[in-house]
Amino acid sequence: MFDTALSTNDLIFLAKGAGMTLIVTAISVFFGTILGIIFGVFRYQVGPWWAAPLTFVLDIFRSIPLLIQLVLANAFVTTVLGYRISGFAIACGVLSLYTAAYCAEIVRGGIEAVPQTLRRAARSLGMTWGQDMTSIVLPLATRVALPSWIGLALGVMKDSALVYIVQVVELLKSTQILITRLQEPLFLLMICGLFYFLISFPIARFGGYLEKRWSND
Amino acid sequence: MKSALFTAGILAATAVAMPAQADKLDDIIASGTLRCAVVLDFPPMGSRDESNNPIGFDVDYCNDLAAALGVSAEIVETTFPERIPSLMSGRVDVAVASTSDTLERAKTVGFSIPYYAFENAVVAREGIEMASWEDMKGKTVGATAGTYEAIWLEGKVKEWGEGQFRPYQNQADVFLALSQGQLDATVATVEVSEANVKSGNFGGIKIVDKAPMVPDYVALITLREEYGLINYMNLFINQQVRTGRYAELYKKWVGEGEPADLTIPGVYR
Repeated sequence: MFDTALSTNDLIFLAKGAGMTLIVTAISVFFGTILGIIFGVFRYQVGPWWAAPLTFVLDIFRSIPLLIQLVLANAFVTTVLGYRISGFAIACGVLSLYTAAYCAEIVRGGIEAVPQTLRRAARSLGMTWGQDMTSIVLPLATRVALPSWIGLALGVMKDSALVYIVQVVELLKSTQILITRLQEPLFLLMICGLFYFLISFPIARFGGYLEKRWSND
Repeated sequence: MKSALFTAGILAATAVAMPAQADKLDDIIASGTLRCAVVLDFPPMGSRDESNNPIGFDVDYCNDLAAALGVSAEIVETTFPERIPSLMSGRVDVAVASTSDTLERAKTVGFSIPYYAFENAVVAREGIEMASWEDMKGKTVGATAGTYEAIWLEGKVKEWGEGQFRPYQNQADVFLALSQGQLDATVATVEVSEANVKSGNFGGIKIVDKAPMVPDYVALITLREEYGLINYMNLFINQQVRTGRYAELYKKWVGEGEPADLTIPGVYR
């Protein structure tokens, strides 16, 4: 019924690509989130004036297409600075900053969503700023920010397809390599889409599960 | 006064010239990797094998160059339009990517001497008596309409004043017509002809001779100002031919027969 030249070897090749997508995404989302929390708290804490330089830098990362960021970062590090570092390191670095720029906004939005009155009440009870942040703001802001954060993580996973430009063979690039060799674009793209779905769906469901669990306690 | 100014001038000039600038050749040797741009959807020059590893004439050529430099080779997959941008943006050191040495491109990048030349072959149906390309005179010939070889062939038929020229929509149609006997002979690039004869998809055809058309000379490219590297690559290409490695690679990837002559009679370089 259906004839394809796709071999088990090629499926393993695709799976390796999917693994690379997962690794790049995991590293970027991990460091991006940590940086994003730091930047977000900083921006909220110091106010719009003092945070303006940081806001500007983060806006650059949010406004310039990721593909251009990757090419420019690669050229800057390899030709201007003269360091020979792997494409993988550049990809993770750029994607982390890109994630951090978006995450900072999510974190700031989450903190702002915690009612001021509630926080004042906490401070009136004698809580320190640290206690207020960890015991009052953190649980409430996390609930607010979680859906956007899951959306960001899934977005970064799909945006990571662009890192092929710095010679990282991830899922989409490995699919393209197979398309060139086997000349079966639609079938291969379907398989590629399936792989993306298999990676993304559990994350989306996990987010949904957390939302549900945290909603009524 | 004058001599003081002169001394100052000399000193300033030395200060400017002092830092012994490491060029790309030094950089490659120091980094231990040679990054080559290779087009991998262009067999037999570049493609991928069953386990998706890069293979082909250009891939082997890059590996040879890296071995000569004493570094390891890194094959960076590129498309034809991306060859020069990837050089300019520093993603690769050289492009071993069948780049025709046009004067327009030479304004942007630096060319080595040609390392390969795409020639055209005369392919005939078995049973047709042909010894050289001139025996096409008086025969029914054809090629893909609008291509370089079709224009050449049609011109030849007109010049001879006998025989017939038939244009076709694509290369596969030409070879089909040839193997079915509608055509006596055709002209196509050596690489395509060899591949079609080898594949067995078109039975009863054979390569007769090379067509006396100007070959498409292709060269290695790097940044325009990297004279040290270009010099090295020129000598490397010379050595490849001298040691017989060029003929060996031709036999491995293209087929039996003589590889193209990389020199042009009557002119230097």
